[in-house]
Amino acid sequence: MLAFDVEVRRRRFTVAVALEVADGERIALFGPSGSGKTTVLEAVAGLQPLDRGHVTLGGRLLSRSGAGRVMHVPLWERGIVLLRQDAALFPHLDVRANLTYAGGRDPARLAHLVDRLELAGLLDVHPGELSGGQAQRVALGRALLSHHGALLLDEPYTGLDGRLRDALGALVRSELAVRSVPGVLVAHELGEAQAFADRLGILDQGRLLQLAPPDEVVRHPSSRRVAELVGYLGFVRTGGRVAAVHPDRVRPGSWPDLGVVLTGRVAGLRPAGVGFRVTLDVDGSCVVYRVDEAPPPIGARTAVTALDPPRFASTDDATETVGADLASASLAPAVPRPVGRGHR
Amino acid sequence: MPRSQFPGGRSPGAGLRRVSALASLSVGVVVWVALLGPVIALGAHLSYGATRASLAAPGALTPLVVSLESAAISLAVLVIGCSPLAYLLAHDRLPFARLWEAGMLVALMMPPLVIGLLLVFMVGPLTPIGRGLSDLHLDATNTLFALVIAQVYEAAPYYVLGAQSAFSTVDPRLEQQAGMLGDPPRRVLRRVTLPVAAPGLAMALAVGWARAIGAFGAVLIVAYHPQGLPLQIWTTLEERGLAAALPFALLLLLVALPLPLAAYAWSARARVRR
Repeated sequence: MLAFDVEVRRRRFTVAVALEVADGERIALFGPSGSGKTTVLEAVAGLQPLDRGHVTLGGRLLSRSGAGRVMHVPLWERGIVLLRQDAALFPHLDVRANLTYAGGRDPARLAHLVDRLELAGLLDVHPGELSGGQAQRVALGRALLSHHGALLLDEPYTGLDGRLRDALGALVRSELAVRSVPGVLVAHELGEAQAFADRLGILDQGRLLQLAPPDEVVRHPSSRRVAELVGYLGFVRTGGRVAAVHPDRVRPGSWPDLGVVLTGRVAGLRPAGVGFRVTLDVDGSCVVYRVDEAPPPIGARTAVTALDPPRFASTDDATETVGADLASASLAPAVPRPVGRGHR
Repeated sequence: MPRSQFPGGRSPGAGLRRVSALASLSVGVVVWVALLGPVIALGAHLSYGATRASLAAPGALTPLVVSLESAAISLAVLVIGCSPLAYLLAHDRLPFARLWEAGMLVALMMPPLVIGLLLVFMVGPLTPIGRGLSDLHLDATNTLFALVIAQVYEAAPYYVLGAQSAFSTVDPRLEQQAGMLGDPPRRVLRRVTLPVAAPGLAMALAVGWARAIGAFGAVLIVAYHPQGLPLQIWTTLEERGLAAALPFALLLLLVALPLPLAAYAWSARARVRR
């Protein structure tokens, strides 16, 4: 088990995060840029001195700071590998030598990983000749082939296309499961974090706001700020509380038994993938949602239903507000039946 | 998008840029030829007969042996003694790092003849260091040991600053990554730092070698004997004239250049591969 309670002072705020990651468990830390995600990983890896706290791996104390006592196991004895955004490949070694730098000389295992990482044909190439995505795959392979007790991943799929992200994500998950080592990934893309994690932590301003299974975090954010961070774009005052509206959790039409019905005027419309992204002005507030086809025209009044939206106390503090402040929302009559669909 | 917005496919600045490029190239060629001018002059003024007569004289090649021997020892001293300082300077591991660098610059700026004069005050037989060396049966004047000291003093600042620059090119994240992959610092140095810095170190070594084997000013003061090639050229010029000295100048070039040229070629090849 990897357990840490780290505190690192930064210029604007102090990063303070405590976590326990069981063997084979995967935790993703998600948050905006500059929220302290990388600092947490570097502190755990031993690259950042702790101002206070401790790090243990498998019950072995790796770092401790505070109360006048400082203890730090050096990098090479910690058994923690951190894969950073920059591949940091050794430029004087070819891909094969980079991959096997810290082990992995078992030909079958090397061949398996080379195949999964799609590096066949590149083994004799030097890093200077690789694209960013290829270099990142080599770095991932090198980390997976090394002997480690915990794997930390700092946005490891940067620069890779969607197909490769999925493939490498599956590879990392299976490797962690097979070797039964704890894994922590930080990401600023929610989908990446969700796909990786058994538990998802939301980090903001150096604080862990919520830690729960990804689905729970996304469907039941613990605060308005968490809701904002995981993609809720509209906040509607209703019954003395604030309902958070996620673009993917809005159904056109009035379905009062499924959630909160909002009525407003279409203020914006633009193509989004195979459908459209509609911005609804609900009495001065913005609610964004997606429709696959037949979007209402701009200026039309229409009703939509925010499906089972999480609600927060109106005093719930949010350091950043997405969309306009909401004065009020048109609430649907309390009739448990669909009362129409489309625009009026 | 059209290739050019201008008729005929040329922008108004294209002609000016071409003239400018041509002028730069011309100046570059002139400077290059001018720098190699002395070598060309050497080739033009050497005669086979005089060369053969000079080099075939009894004992004529002894200074060559002395130069090779002393420069090789100096090079070893530079690598073993000065590389750690260069590494520490590059990694900002020294307190008051800028002060250390300034010290190296002072050593670099000192005229070699002045270095020689001051070495007499520092390691001469009547100084405390000189007496200490004497107790160890070493003499820092007019010995091979003195020649090595003079060469090291002339070459060390060049080597240290070159090696510092080479070590600075090593991204500290590479060393951290090697550490996280289980390598202790000594192994990181061997497997990552030195190989990555190697092209730059090779160039620093080449400069150090050239400075050491060609050292003259300090050598003239503290190690007139045993005579190396630079002093042999000087004494031959004084005693027998320019024509007799030129063959030894050629000899010095021939023994001094291969190592730097090989280092340059290897360094350039290594950089291309990365």
